[in-house]
Amino acid sequence: MSNIIIKDVKKAFGEVVVLSQFNAEFADGEFITLLGPSGCGKTTMLRMLAGFEKPTEGEIYIGDQDVSSPKNFVPPERRDIGMVFQSYAVWPHMTVFENVAYPLKMKKMGKQEIKKHVEEVLETVHLSQYAQRIPSQLSGGQQQRVALARALVAKPRLLLLDEPLSNLDAKLRDSMRFEIKEIQKQLGITVVYVTHDQMEAMTMSDRVIVINKGVIQQVGAPTEIYRHPANQFVADFVGKINFLKATSKDKVLTLAQSGQTLPYEGPLKGDVVIGIRPENIRLVSIKGDFEGTLVSKFYLGDVNDCRIDLGGELIRVIAEPTTFDVCEVGQSFNLRIDEFTVFEDTGEDEHTKILT
Amino acid sequence: MRALNPQAPLNEEKHRWFLDPKWLIIIAIVGFLLVFQVFPLVYLVFRAFFSTGTFSLEAFKRVYTYPLNWSALTNTVVAATFSMIFGVLIAFPLAWLVGRTNLYGKKFFRTLFVATYMVPPYVGAMAWMRLLNPTVGSMNMFLQKIFNLGSAPFDIYTMGGLIWVLTGFYYPYAFITISRAMEKMDPSLEEASRISGASPLTTLRTITLPMMLPSIVAAALLVFVAAGSCYGIPSIIGVPGQIHTVTTRIIDFVYIGSQEGLTDATTLAVFLMLIANVVLYLSTFSIGKKQYITVSGKSTRPNIVDLGRWRIPITALVIIFALVVVIIPFVTVALSSITVNLGESVFAEGNITWRYWERIFTRKSIINSARNSLVSAVMAATFGLLVSCMMAYLLVRTNIKGKKIPDFMITVGSGTPSVVIALSLIMSMSGKFGINIYNTLTIMVIAYMIKYMMMGMRTVVSALTQISPSLEEASQISGASWLRSMKNVTLPLIAPALVAGWFLIFMPCFYELTMSTLLYSTNTKTLGYELYTYQTYHNQQTASALATAILFTVFGINWLLNKLTDGEFSI
Repeated sequence: MSNIIIKDVKKAFGEVVVLSQFNAEFADGEFITLLGPSGCGKTTMLRMLAGFEKPTEGEIYIGDQDVSSPKNFVPPERRDIGMVFQSYAVWPHMTVFENVAYPLKMKKMGKQEIKKHVEEVLETVHLSQYAQRIPSQLSGGQQQRVALARALVAKPRLLLLDEPLSNLDAKLRDSMRFEIKEIQKQLGITVVYVTHDQMEAMTMSDRVIVINKGVIQQVGAPTEIYRHPANQFVADFVGKINFLKATSKDKVLTLAQSGQTLPYEGPLKGDVVIGIRPENIRLVSIKGDFEGTLVSKFYLGDVNDCRIDLGGELIRVIAEPTTFDVCEVGQSFNLRIDEFTVFEDTGEDEHTKILT
Repeated sequence: MRALNPQAPLNEEKHRWFLDPKWLIIIAIVGFLLVFQVFPLVYLVFRAFFSTGTFSLEAFKRVYTYPLNWSALTNTVVAATFSMIFGVLIAFPLAWLVGRTNLYGKKFFRTLFVATYMVPPYVGAMAWMRLLNPTVGSMNMFLQKIFNLGSAPFDIYTMGGLIWVLTGFYYPYAFITISRAMEKMDPSLEEASRISGASPLTTLRTITLPMMLPSIVAAALLVFVAAGSCYGIPSIIGVPGQIHTVTTRIIDFVYIGSQEGLTDATTLAVFLMLIANVVLYLSTFSIGKKQYITVSGKSTRPNIVDLGRWRIPITALVIIFALVVVIIPFVTVALSSITVNLGESVFAEGNITWRYWERIFTRKSIINSARNSLVSAVMAATFGLLVSCMMAYLLVRTNIKGKKIPDFMITVGSGTPSVVIALSLIMSMSGKFGINIYNTLTIMVIAYMIKYMMMGMRTVVSALTQISPSLEEASQISGASWLRSMKNVTLPLIAPALVAGWFLIFMPCFYELTMSTLLYSTNTKTLGYELYTYQTYHNQQTASALATAILFTVFGINWLLNKLTDGEFSI
């Protein structure tokens, strides 16, 4: 019913191409996140779905309706979409009730019916007692929920969220994250969510689309993206990772600086970059893959953040908190690598730094 | 600390109250304004009520029962009201079209409409007089010809004509105010309405318009006061048609020269001052507080409304408007300056001449006036900017208690009609109270400062607000003294604003007419006044040449300003 098809969409502002060759298909009821650094084109894609921008090329279908193609363009008001803006965009000259009732009024719904629907949705977002307030009397989080209620009230076939949590403080952000996810499950609505925060993307999405410089880097479930990143950019952007330059020969990876080795079954040969997440390295006393010396350690409470010198390469290790007490700087360790990814060495140094 | 060193707080206290240069600055500025602004205005009101030495409403009775004055009052209110209504009705759609739609040539139109703001108002009056004179107006004759009319369709020497010229000159005030408010509005407020199912037009009606209402009211009041206290336009357009306004009556009364004349002028001026101050109060203190603060989370490009098939017709309409209101008047004035016989087309045989241009660059009286204007405008701009800088520093960088007082006084000064300022200065600064600067350029400079200083101050204040104090602190922590930090860090950063602020004061002073008309003497005639006398008594072509020269100067300066400040500032 409200599946979405994006076909060969390209967007350029004048000479500047902000999005090239975007192809994607979202299923009905799916929670999709567009993830990427600022300026990667994710918001532009969302605005094209909403109808605020016209694609330079390509077609967009919402629920089998052609909403945007070279020969057809449906304006935002006729797309039946709900949207939450980063700045909330709650109208300051209307009460909470009037704000939320607005989309229904535009549908020429009867007064009684509007009242019923608005009360219902205000209930969902826990704002029933604030109906007659004006927005300036509400906190940021409450305004956020007004915006969400307004986006949901007309039961749109698609909900767009443009970095809705970025203006909230950390605690509120956590609880809103679960609330939004809860509401989405309840209503079974298709959601497209834009964020640059990988935590938000991981916790809420069914599928994540990682975008960089206007190009899709990887599409997949959060676990897939985290554990099997398609390239160095994705690996680096989603979570923390160590990149180590190495050469691959005869099923063995040899580190460029220290010469330590790691067995490897994969297909890549020659110059490669090994990606190892800091939590996938364990400090062990025997049978390690690497040997190294502890350079520094930081106690973070839930974990212990260490830097270990492999004899040329410096890597970051997230170790159990108890290690803080027993390990000394200067001490030597065996390191066991639980999981790693090998990338082709593209020669770009951009991602081959240890701290992310 | 207090317990450890009981001497320190005492010293500090002393320092704060007696030695802090900030207080000296405030006292100096407040003192200046008290002497040259507050006292004269208060004296003006006093004179109106105590014209005979004791309290009496005699003068009011006399002035307001005299039919000519009464009609001047109603004329002023009617003309200002209609100019306000038409001004806003023109400015809002224009601001919306230029700011929010895909109108062709938006940038150009924007510059053009804003540019009208810097043009001296009397230039418009001169142009329309030539165009819509009931017997020889060139536009009248043209319309008569193509529509085959028996008589001229328009007469500029009427109330309608006055309103037309006032509107054409003061709608830019509303346009600028409304445009700015529209730029500041978070575009996602409008997008939220679109996505909620509202068409662009419904969005305009239910979201944009109500959100903009405070700014629209403020803009309307601005036009009302500006039109009501304008002298240049009614003196050129209204007087020949026997349409008097409060400003022209005041100046007539002053020219009579008798004590009674002065009293009558004072009494009328009190009325004008009252209107202006009430409006100022409403727009800054009452409506100002109601402005919806809509700060955008991030700066998205505003959603551009597609005009669709209306794009070309609407653009054509805007072009026609620009032609009629801006281009044709300016071209008319420019062409008048090279026409021998104004009754004939400029392109007729032997009708083109440069002699008027030659005249304005050679005639001694004109050169003298130009020099007077230049000197007084430069002085007003320089001193005005100095005060602006000190005020900006006080307002933005200090927490001194009294800093709002001079700010308030400067705001009131700029909101007071020029006629009133000049009149109050004449009455109080001609020796009666120990200061006699009447008939000097000094009085001119002071009047200009009171009227136009605020433009400079606002510019410098907003520039300084954008510079974080930590930049100065970083310089001090690196070892530079406060003064050096100012010179090395703050000054270079606000330099463009200083240049802009200087010119913002300079330009209106350079072509000022109203105050000059009241304050000039044989040795201190100004360019504006010179132009006015040529226009009314001697030779319109010379006046046109002067006006064109002023226009070129003003646009030239604006262009230069734009270049100097990398497009950050222009008017």
